[in-house]
Amino acid sequence: MSEVSLDHYLVLGAVLFVCGALCMAMKRNAIGVLMGVELVLNGANINFVAFARYNPVFRLEGQVFALFVIVMAAAEAAIALAIVLNFYNNHMTVDVDTAEELKG
Amino acid sequence: MHLENPGLLYVAATLAPLASFLLLLLAGGLRLALRKNREAGAGAALYQMLGGDRPHRAAAFIATGAIALSFVLSLVGFVYFLQDHPLPAHTETPHAAGHPEGGPAAEASSGSTADRWAGSVRWAEIGRFNSSKSTVLALGYRIDSLSTVMFLMVTFVATFIHIFSIGYMSEELAPVVEDHQVHTEEGHLHRRGRFGRFFLYLSLFCFSMLNLILADNLFQVFLSWELVGICSYLLIGFYYERRSASNAANKAFITNRVGDAGFIIGLLILWTYLGTFNFQELFHKLPQALQDGSLPKWALIVAGLGIFLGCVGKSAQFPLHVWLPDAMEGPTPVSALIHAATMVAAGVYLVGRVYPLFTEEARLAIAYTGGITLFLAATVALVMTDIKKVLAYSTVSQLGYMMLALGIGGWVAGLFHLITHAFFKALLFLGSGSVIYGCHHEQEMTRMGGLYPKMKITAITMLVGVLTIMGFPLFSGWYSKDMILAQALGYFLVHRQHFLLFALPLFTAGLTAFYMFRMWFMTFTGPPRDEHVHEHAHESPRWMTVPLIVLAVFSVCVSWGSPVWSAESSYLGGHHGLLEMSEPADELKNLKMMDEALNSAVHDSHTLAEVLAYVAGGLGVLFAALFYYWRVLNPADAKLQFAGVHRFLWHKWYFDELYSAVLVRPSLQAAHWCRNFDTYIIDGFINRAAWATTMLSRWDGIFDLAIVDGLVNLTGRIIFACGAWLRRFQTGYIRSYVLFLVLAAIGIFFALTYFLNLAAAGP
Repeated sequence: MSEVSLDHYLVLGAVLFVCGALCMAMKRNAIGVLMGVELVLNGANINFVAFARYNPVFRLEGQVFALFVIVMAAAEAAIALAIVLNFYNNHMTVDVDTAEELKG
Repeated sequence: MHLENPGLLYVAATLAPLASFLLLLLAGGLRLALRKNREAGAGAALYQMLGGDRPHRAAAFIATGAIALSFVLSLVGFVYFLQDHPLPAHTETPHAAGHPEGGPAAEASSGSTADRWAGSVRWAEIGRFNSSKSTVLALGYRIDSLSTVMFLMVTFVATFIHIFSIGYMSEELAPVVEDHQVHTEEGHLHRRGRFGRFFLYLSLFCFSMLNLILADNLFQVFLSWELVGICSYLLIGFYYERRSASNAANKAFITNRVGDAGFIIGLLILWTYLGTFNFQELFHKLPQALQDGSLPKWALIVAGLGIFLGCVGKSAQFPLHVWLPDAMEGPTPVSALIHAATMVAAGVYLVGRVYPLFTEEARLAIAYTGGITLFLAATVALVMTDIKKVLAYSTVSQLGYMMLALGIGGWVAGLFHLITHAFFKALLFLGSGSVIYGCHHEQEMTRMGGLYPKMKITAITMLVGVLTIMGFPLFSGWYSKDMILAQALGYFLVHRQHFLLFALPLFTAGLTAFYMFRMWFMTFTGPPRDEHVHEHAHESPRWMTVPLIVLAVFSVCVSWGSPVWSAESSYLGGHHGLLEMSEPADELKNLKMMDEALNSAVHDSHTLAEVLAYVAGGLGVLFAALFYYWRVLNPADAKLQFAGVHRFLWHKWYFDELYSAVLVRPSLQAAHWCRNFDTYIIDGFINRAAWATTMLSRWDGIFDLAIVDGLVNLTGRIIFACGAWLRRFQTGYIRSYVLFLVLAAIGIFFALTYFLNLAAAGP
């Protein structure tokens, strides 16, 4: 059993990212889409942290970026939830397919 | 009472009718301006004062008062004139040696006397840069015995015609007048009465006419000449809704323009060569200018003929006589005043006034014009059945007598006849007016007859007029007509080749007697031809009969002298009479135009001419009586027998037809051509140009739309198409966006890999 290497982390991050992206693409529920976004962000976070751990050049930057992303994700979640709430108030649903007023 | 400038009395007499004219014009203008707010207030009160909707007699009283004042002033002026210029003592000796110096000498004796009777104001100065010539247009007056007599005649006749008009025009006093001769779609025409307007025009006419007599220069005469012309036009067309009246007015005006063109040419020649319009200066400069050649003979002949052409137009001489008979469309008092007594005589007056300007040749032209006119008009008068037309042609004929007399050297005779004619023709016209009024505007003599018992005053006064015009002894026409005939006979004896100049007036004297008595017999005697007209006929009111009586009295005795039975001793036109005083004898002598042989021949032929005139007149009356009183001969038979002659005369020698064919229709044709040129050539060219422009614009429009706009639109359309294609990608489904995002990311990833590998594998 070999040691856990950078590649493992990167694969985990990629899987997480793909899961998130698929979740964003497939879900019709706005909350589900939001959750997919969280997955994508966390997949990226894993990459940051992994690079910080295995590459001494990025030791500080990786962690700082990861924190940055977490803060940003929190802010994003707050705004997105507010939008969803408003959308729900107006349409009595959170189905993103109904939010198509701005289509071309 | 001594007056410094008695000539000014005449100026005042001239201005009185002008004041009346302006007053009436002002009142009329005010009335018109106030008409809008006639409901209430001070304006309405003033409006009512000015006559309101109903014409008022006041206008007539103002105009009549003004002309009566003129008459009084002229009379006072006449008395002063006689004090200054006493008639020369009457001598019984025959004046074989030409005119004695008495008359002119008295006038020329003292400069101060002449100054008292003349004056002028500088009116306009022309061409100051050329100081060598006198270039001042002046308005002035100069009174001589001719002016005084003319003034008395005009103001006297005009006063009585004004009074007559008050009665004759009384139908115009109604607020609404129905004109039976004008048919509109709603029946007869209804219009406001024009009582005031009539007197307004009359006042303007009186002023113009008096100004013409007053003038001391040709320019002022010309001004007045045109003014009387326009008054004549306005009064002929008084019933302008009637087509015949407006046509007659146009005819009179246009015919007079022909004459006035000649007048202007004459004026210009005189001004160019002699540099003055003043009569005295003209006559003074003339002999000198002729002698030193500064005025060529031909120019003087042309100037004389030109001025005479003006007189031909105004006095209705052949060939411009056609307007006068038509002018009878005007109200009868107008026919009497303007187209018989005064205005038409202005031509004769002017010929007399500028007499020394006429050369021998010009005078011969005048004589022949007069001769032809008097015969032509008299023959036409023989067949006319309209009572006013008969009188109109008789007027033309009598004017021809005057012109003839002037042309053959009978200055006094011509102007003498002018004065007497004014009285008896005014009388005759007013008489005819009275008949027409009494017969309810019936003018055709073929529907009259037997009116004597119904209108005795009119009949008797008209008989006086008829006797006067035919030259019955001791009636005023006798003096003047005999004088003319004697002059003509004398002229014939001296110049045998001009036989016609005596034969025509002598023969026409018979014709005159015939047609005048024909008129009188047809109107007043015999059985009535139309029961309806006869039944309703009545004598005219006193407004009209009193002027008739007064004019009749004056027609008889206006030229009496002492002794009454001698034509030579008439105070007016006889030997040493009033008119002889102002005969331009001195001027003629300076121009060597005095014909002593003629004068003595004229003097010797008086008795013979008188006898011949009696014979001619007597025959005329006899035939008239045979035809129309005793009815021994039937006029209808004569008409059939001489059908061709009758038709020729009935159509007035075909003058109207001739002018229509020679002048009117060609000018209409030319006008047509001009119109066609306008419509087809000029308008066509313009239309073509416009068409070309529109075509060019259309092509330009197509180019603009297709090419320029096409390019712009194409760009827009391409961009639009792109947008339309691209919009399909903006589906509104968040999942498809994510899909695109992922696909794009993958694409970018592969692209980057590819380019990085390229870069790595690069040099």
